[in-house]
Amino acid sequence: MTSTELTAPVPAIDEDPVLELVGVRAAYGAIEVLKGVDLQVPAGSVVALLGPNGGGKTTTMKVVSGLMPTTAGEVWFAGRNVTGITATEASRLGVCSIPEGRGVFANLTVRENLWVATGTGARLADLEEAAYARFPRLADRRGQLAGSMSGGEQQMLALSRALGTDPAVLLLDELSMGLAPMIVSEMYDIVGGLAAEGISILVAEQFARVVLPIADTAALMLGGRVVKVGRPADVEDELSTTYLGG
Amino acid sequence: MSLSEVLLETSGVVVRFGGNTAVSDVGIDVRAGAVTGLIGPNGAGKTTLYNCITGMQRPNAGRIVFDGRDITRLSPGARARMGMARTFQRLELFLSLSVRDNVRVAGDIVRANTRRRVDVEAETDRVLELTGLTDIAHLDVSDIPTGRARVVEVARALMTQPRLLLLDEPASGQTEQETELFAQLLQGLADDGLAVCLVEHDLPLVMRLCSRIHVLDHGVLIASGTPAEVQASPAVVEAYIGAEVVA
Amino acid sequence: MTLFMTFTVLGLVLGAVYAIAASGLVLTYNTSGIFNFAHGAQAMIGAFLYYQLQAVWGVPTIVSVALMLLVVGPLMGFLLHRFVMGGLRDTAEVTKIVVTVAILLGFVALSQWAWDPQEARMSKMFFGADSYVTVRGVTIRYHEIICLLAAAGIAVGLRLLFTRSRMGVLMRATVDDPDLLRLNGHDPERVAGLAWALGSTLAVLAGILITPVAGGALEANALTLLVIDAFAAALFGRLRSIPRTFVGAMVLGLTSTYLVAYAPSEWTWVTNLRDALPMIVLFVVLLVLPQDRLRGAAVRTRERYEVPTVRRAAVWAVVMVVATVAFRQLIDDSSVGTLILGLSFAIIALSLTVLTGYAGELNLAPVSFGAIATIVAFHSGISGTGLAARMNLVGLVAGVLAAAVTGALVALPALRLRGLYLALATLAFGGFVSSMVLRETQTRSWFGHDFAIFPNGNLIVSPLAVGPLDFADQNTFLYSAAAVFAVLGVGVVALRNSGYGRRLAAMKDSPAAAAMLGQRLVRLKLSVFMVSTAIAGLGGIFMSMALTSVTSEHFVYVLSLSLVMLTVVGGIGYVSGALFGGLLAGGGFTLVVGTFNELSIEHPVHAETFGILSHSFLVMTALVGIGVAQNPSGNFFEIFHGQRTLARAPEVRYTALAVTVLLYLLAYAEVIGTWTFGILVVVLWQALPALGRALRPDRLLSQDELAARAATPLELLGVDTPYPDRLGERLDRELGLPARHRQVTPVQSVVIAADHSSRPEEGVRHVTV
Repeated sequence: MTSTELTAPVPAIDEDPVLELVGVRAAYGAIEVLKGVDLQVPAGSVVALLGPNGGGKTTTMKVVSGLMPTTAGEVWFAGRNVTGITATEASRLGVCSIPEGRGVFANLTVRENLWVATGTGARLADLEEAAYARFPRLADRRGQLAGSMSGGEQQMLALSRALGTDPAVLLLDELSMGLAPMIVSEMYDIVGGLAAEGISILVAEQFARVVLPIADTAALMLGGRVVKVGRPADVEDELSTTYLGG
Repeated sequence: MSLSEVLLETSGVVVRFGGNTAVSDVGIDVRAGAVTGLIGPNGAGKTTLYNCITGMQRPNAGRIVFDGRDITRLSPGARARMGMARTFQRLELFLSLSVRDNVRVAGDIVRANTRRRVDVEAETDRVLELTGLTDIAHLDVSDIPTGRARVVEVARALMTQPRLLLLDEPASGQTEQETELFAQLLQGLADDGLAVCLVEHDLPLVMRLCSRIHVLDHGVLIASGTPAEVQASPAVVEAYIGAEVVA
Repeated sequence: MTLFMTFTVLGLVLGAVYAIAASGLVLTYNTSGIFNFAHGAQAMIGAFLYYQLQAVWGVPTIVSVALMLLVVGPLMGFLLHRFVMGGLRDTAEVTKIVVTVAILLGFVALSQWAWDPQEARMSKMFFGADSYVTVRGVTIRYHEIICLLAAAGIAVGLRLLFTRSRMGVLMRATVDDPDLLRLNGHDPERVAGLAWALGSTLAVLAGILITPVAGGALEANALTLLVIDAFAAALFGRLRSIPRTFVGAMVLGLTSTYLVAYAPSEWTWVTNLRDALPMIVLFVVLLVLPQDRLRGAAVRTRERYEVPTVRRAAVWAVVMVVATVAFRQLIDDSSVGTLILGLSFAIIALSLTVLTGYAGELNLAPVSFGAIATIVAFHSGISGTGLAARMNLVGLVAGVLAAAVTGALVALPALRLRGLYLALATLAFGGFVSSMVLRETQTRSWFGHDFAIFPNGNLIVSPLAVGPLDFADQNTFLYSAAAVFAVLGVGVVALRNSGYGRRLAAMKDSPAAAAMLGQRLVRLKLSVFMVSTAIAGLGGIFMSMALTSVTSEHFVYVLSLSLVMLTVVGGIGYVSGALFGGLLAGGGFTLVVGTFNELSIEHPVHAETFGILSHSFLVMTALVGIGVAQNPSGNFFEIFHGQRTLARAPEVRYTALAVTVLLYLLAYAEVIGTWTFGILVVVLWQALPALGRALRPDRLLSQDELAARAATPLELLGVDTPYPDRLGERLDRELGLPARHRQVTPVQSVVIAADHSSRPEEGVRHVTV
């Protein structure tokens, strides 16, 4: 367990959040998925975005990373209104997003995947060093196609991008999807380490219990809105009823 | 709970994508005259299993039996003609047709396939009435809200007079009121003898409607039973919320 | 053995050029998702430009090559991507195909403008044809060695690019997942732009290399069709793998030369077969390709069509026939033929309305199906001799049926696959008809019967005579063609309004959903393709009768492509779009270009100007086709939309009708010319919605529009604007004030509003702006 209890649970009052969503709405064609999301990620903290499937977690992540346009509302990043910027611009501003499912190029080798990650300005050598130091298994597989690796190894590779590129905000979407519990907790140890280095992290996760220990704040999403923000412990109590319908 | 006939049964279904096993050795059944739930966290393999059942994905192993016949190798269309119908999570409506024509065309297809003199017009009116779409029947299907669009997909499926109806997240995008009406519709259909299978994230709805629920996690069937049994299962709670991480 | 080696070398050389062309095609297709039908046309432009530089202007060979490969090729690709291809996102596959087809046509028109096709141009080999080495009795020219080296170099170079350079890795990554590439800070559009630059350069290189190998004469059409050869090669790699594409290219090249070397000498048709080989290979490969997985449509495209009722279509059909009769009175006898030709093309274009507009599939060679129908009708339906010879109904029906059956045979291998493959299969069929069927001019023994398919390369197609109708009379022919189009048009609309038409729409909108309702997709596609090719066959026979005597020149692929493009421009979902496309493709070109030619004869001083105008008309048409990217539903969608609003002010329509009749009478009395009449009528009806809005705003404008027009004193605009907290916070933040999270004390509202009804809401500050 990281020392979550000591930090302030509620968004800092005096400091600007690194990332802020104000009344964000978004839709797939006629299907409105986000219906006014308000969310803040204070600098240096880990915010866990929880809630059942279909609540809008992934869409929120897509909006923040610039892949999905908003239909209303604003996205603020480090004091700048970045509503409507492209994913390319967002990533160059320091938003590192690891999308749901597969965050890797399946038909590229491990090393080539890291090469692509140099788009935000990092050097390949640094990326490789950081990745292989943390995940020695990747070093053995540097010439192997990412798609042929196990799900855990693919997720390690995806996470390596965050290790070497020094982002300001890290967005993690369903890091645990399809992974064995052992590997999931290993992943979150690394995320905890990144948080300790001062990276602000927004993590969407269904497996509430694996992410809550490292989270400073938990936000519960239901029906396209953030319905509760608070200390992880407070939100945790509500989870079981929200998920399984009592 | 009725002990009615098993209409659909999967046994030992395995689907692998590259090195990952999306569905492993899954056996579920769906009975006539009841709503059966299929739930599980994201990435649990529900959609992949659905695709196997409807024929859009061929399993690496296992058998799918529908109405006593092995349909594992049949095309989606052949399964549909046997009485299987589905709706789509990402709405697959016919955007250049009106609401009424979206429903009517399903009847056109049945008529072309069977060469039976079906009165498509009358059947369309009946289904529109049943699903409460009559008031918006003349509208362009791209102009109606998502909640109603989901009902259009159900109405379209009903036009084929199916015996098994597979629903993929039908409640998403519906208002509470729409969901309520929708639940009544499904219950009514099941009472009339239709086998309904429901993949849905709105678990309160699932718990209320379904007589049996199958729970998938990591491609494995972790629980099958009544809503009460499933809710009480520690494996299910763990699948949804995650195990306590031991520090 | 020497013979074998010689032909092996020749085959490898040909294969090498195919490989260069094909790898460029695969590259652009994968990185941008657009299959570039203009790839061969780019090669053609490259070959001509190189010829101009090197042979005409005498620029040193090495400099010319460098200019072509380092400047022209990349620039052409970059510009294409920047100004055309980039705008093709969210469009249907049909639109993407038509836009590249328009580019193809534009390039062909440009080349014929700049380089008179009547003039022979011989492209020389590098180092001349006399520089060669002899290895074990096999003569290999330097040029051939260069081809082989270039292909090998490109194979190695592409391999290195894709594995050893970051840009190459990015190109592969674009194929995998463009969104993930964005998340990594790259711009997939930029990557695609570079791929287009590289792909175009490869096309240009292939164009320069192939001309001397293929015989030396620069021929725009043959070079343009290089895209089919490249495509056949690329299919070996399923349009994805470049190494397999190279293998496919070599197989193609070797088969081609071995065929010439080892075919028995009595097979006089072998040269034709060789020309048609890529198309045959293409069909074979299509047959063995595995079926596509059924996928949902998911993305909504920008194309929109509205379906008229049968009653409305019938009214318009009557209007159309009446207008034809009226218009006939204005034109002289010599122009009637052009009008008939235009209507014949309009009938062919109707086949596209059904196939593309209703079912979402594409046929790029409708005129070639017309050729098949013509040939069959000619052989089975002419009775009488000399001037008394007439086509009978049997011939007409046989021709139409033959077109339908041929359509089924062509479509069958491609129907399981995506629409692109069907489009390519039809294009290949068009090539096959041109290079094999229409060259069957000699009498041969066919299963014991001696006859020639296309005797003497020139068919005399006699006019149809059915009962009292005799098409030998131009007026009868004209009115009959108009009536046939009108009846077919109503029939097509009725088809769309039937259960069958709804099933087509369902299949087009979402194949996955249609299949899950039990629709047999292949069967439905096959049937609609047959209906469509039958209509094309009918139109083709009409066209041939209108021309009286047809040669292979009348069925060239350019004509088919122009027709497809113009129909899409008009609006492929509409019968009127077909009329527009057909009239312009069949009659318009002849008329406009002919008029300019006449003018230049009448006014020799301005001959050059008129020449430029007539050429630029052709190029402009292609530009309009490229414009489909901006307006994928076609022109008529906008027009109909405007006209429909006029229903609320019928007096505007009646006035316009009266003006039209008046103009007609003036034209009839020869007070104004036919051209003037035509232009005035078109302008009047085009401008009518705008005129109507100006004249009858109360009827035609919506409440909102009227409100917007209501006079608001300028100084009051923007005086009273809500000023929410959010804006205040932003202002604070941008000014660096630490006011952000403080409780906002309600500031006394500063309202300077003329409108007294507006009350400041709570928490909303008002300021003057």
